[in-house]
Amino acid sequence: MSTTLTEKPAETDSGRRLLRGMPWLVVRQHRVALVCVLGLTLVGALLILYGRNELVQLLDAKGWPDKDAGQPMENNRVYEYVGSILGGLPLILAVFIGAPLIAGDQENGTAQLVTTQSATRRQWLIAKLVLAYTLALVSGVVLSALFTWWWKPYRSVFLSDWIDGAIFDNTGPVLPAFLLFLTAAGITIGTLIRRVLPAMVVTFLFTTITTMFVWDELRVRLGDTQIFTYPMDTELPARYAEAYEVDRWVGSADGTLYGWGTCAEATEKAQNACIKEHGIVNDVIEYLDYSQMAPMQWTAAGILLAGTALLTAFTLWRVTRRPV
Amino acid sequence: MADTGTPNATSGSWALEARGLGKRYRRGWALRDCSFRIPAGRICGLVGPNGAGKSTLLNLATRQVQPTTGELRIFGVPVDDPAVMPTFAFLGQEKPLFKRFTVADTLRMGAELNPGWDAAAATRIVRSGNVPLHARVGTLSGGQRTRVAFALAFGKRPDLLLLDEPMSDLDPLARDEMSTLLMAEAVERGTTVVMSSHMLTELEDMCDYLLVVSEGRIRMAGDADALVPAHALVTGVARDGSLPPELADHTVVETRLQGRQFQAMIRPKAPLPADWESAEPSLEEVLLAHLRSPDAPSLYTQGARVEAEGTQAA
Repeated sequence: MSTTLTEKPAETDSGRRLLRGMPWLVVRQHRVALVCVLGLTLVGALLILYGRNELVQLLDAKGWPDKDAGQPMENNRVYEYVGSILGGLPLILAVFIGAPLIAGDQENGTAQLVTTQSATRRQWLIAKLVLAYTLALVSGVVLSALFTWWWKPYRSVFLSDWIDGAIFDNTGPVLPAFLLFLTAAGITIGTLIRRVLPAMVVTFLFTTITTMFVWDELRVRLGDTQIFTYPMDTELPARYAEAYEVDRWVGSADGTLYGWGTCAEATEKAQNACIKEHGIVNDVIEYLDYSQMAPMQWTAAGILLAGTALLTAFTLWRVTRRPV
Repeated sequence: MADTGTPNATSGSWALEARGLGKRYRRGWALRDCSFRIPAGRICGLVGPNGAGKSTLLNLATRQVQPTTGELRIFGVPVDDPAVMPTFAFLGQEKPLFKRFTVADTLRMGAELNPGWDAAAATRIVRSGNVPLHARVGTLSGGQRTRVAFALAFGKRPDLLLLDEPMSDLDPLARDEMSTLLMAEAVERGTTVVMSSHMLTELEDMCDYLLVVSEGRIRMAGDADALVPAHALVTGVARDGSLPPELADHTVVETRLQGRQFQAMIRPKAPLPADWESAEPSLEEVLLAHLRSPDAPSLYTQGARVEAEGTQAA
């Protein structure tokens, strides 16, 4: 591949090349990473197309939605592959693209090499950031759009709730925003640590902690929960089938709420006595409605993009100010 | 020695000009109160012990670090102005290159990032060392890699070439080859070269201008041809085991008592007593004496000194 690019060095000055200057350099330097991420994105996209097509055919054959289609997503190989790609991509972008982006050049001294040519450090940094963010954005937007197109019409047969990370984080604006944020985090960590391997390890830990603990806690708090009260011993109306139940209570006629287990007594007799004693007549659910998903996703994307902007500003400030 | 500059000098004729330049890191001053200038077209050696501030000075000139105080100009342009970038080329101590790039890629990088790129010159330098253009930089020998780095530096067509210990990691053969290349290219283009080095012989052969730095300060600056004759290595009889009072008439760099004899490196200011033996020291002896005695008064030859008050007065 490189031989075809460099066959005739005399052609260096010809204007027919697509990329010039600093963009050429960063693409040339990171072309392996570029090809890997774009390839993974392509594989993910093709798998989604295939998986959706397969699901549609299966549902049609079973007469869905009029008839029950069973659990087509259970043990679905293609869906599992797509899930691993979507789940792995943030880690790959943060650890393998973000962390070494600047740290690699700082460690090898090539930052000094590039910034003592005729381009300023800021120009170099901006070219690097544009490359990494474009990569994150392209793979995020493509995969999110396709996955949303698969999931949304057929969400009732998917096993995960809309609020679960597997759906919420991988559809709509969240996936691109997530990829941007974690890439920016990797770049910032790399800039601070200035060595590739430690930066990758720290970024890995940061990404794991963020996605597994912090974000899971944050996600359900992105929307305001609503309360729905209905008489005890009746079914929850069907329109709440897609609502995510945050908590469940029992309530008396005057509106006082008691914990769901308040009257969980050993015998039915004791239970009835307890219900009577507290005057409990209603079941109450505290929930997030499916209609809240879009605003919640945009809120999430807003938070992540604000974080990305902050980290980017910090990196720009730090790298242009400090010696590389 | 006169400390004032040549009156007809315009600031463009100075390749490098520092005024009150200083850089402080957390651990202290790496460079302090440096005022000097290097005329265009010279090969200037930057000498000093490890940690003296040589690298800091080169990093300041190449915009890798920002000065804490003072200013530095390259051909009259302040280094914090990006317009200065095409005028200099820098070869760092490690000679960093992209290891996965081929030699041709490396030269293409030079072409892409430098407006005045001289592809013919860069290719010629690489070819004359029989470095294959398709080889990856990571597979080259140290000498070949240095040659590629030189090609990148000269391809930029710099007016000022800054080199940090350029030959330190080369074997004698490659060192000789690179010195020849450096001198040939620099002379051909009239490039001003500032190179830091530990190797005093290297300096003696190549440099016609010297900048001696020690403990973050300039000790000597000026023409190599004028700095050395300004010194005398005198020997005489010590009286009662102490130095003769006549030494006070001169600028004393370093003294040594050996039994009943004393030896001193001085800058004579008056006729020497008849009973002293005087010899002209070698460049190496002068440099070593200065590096050993950081408290000796610094010496600037004609034009090398800049007064802090401004260019026009100088």
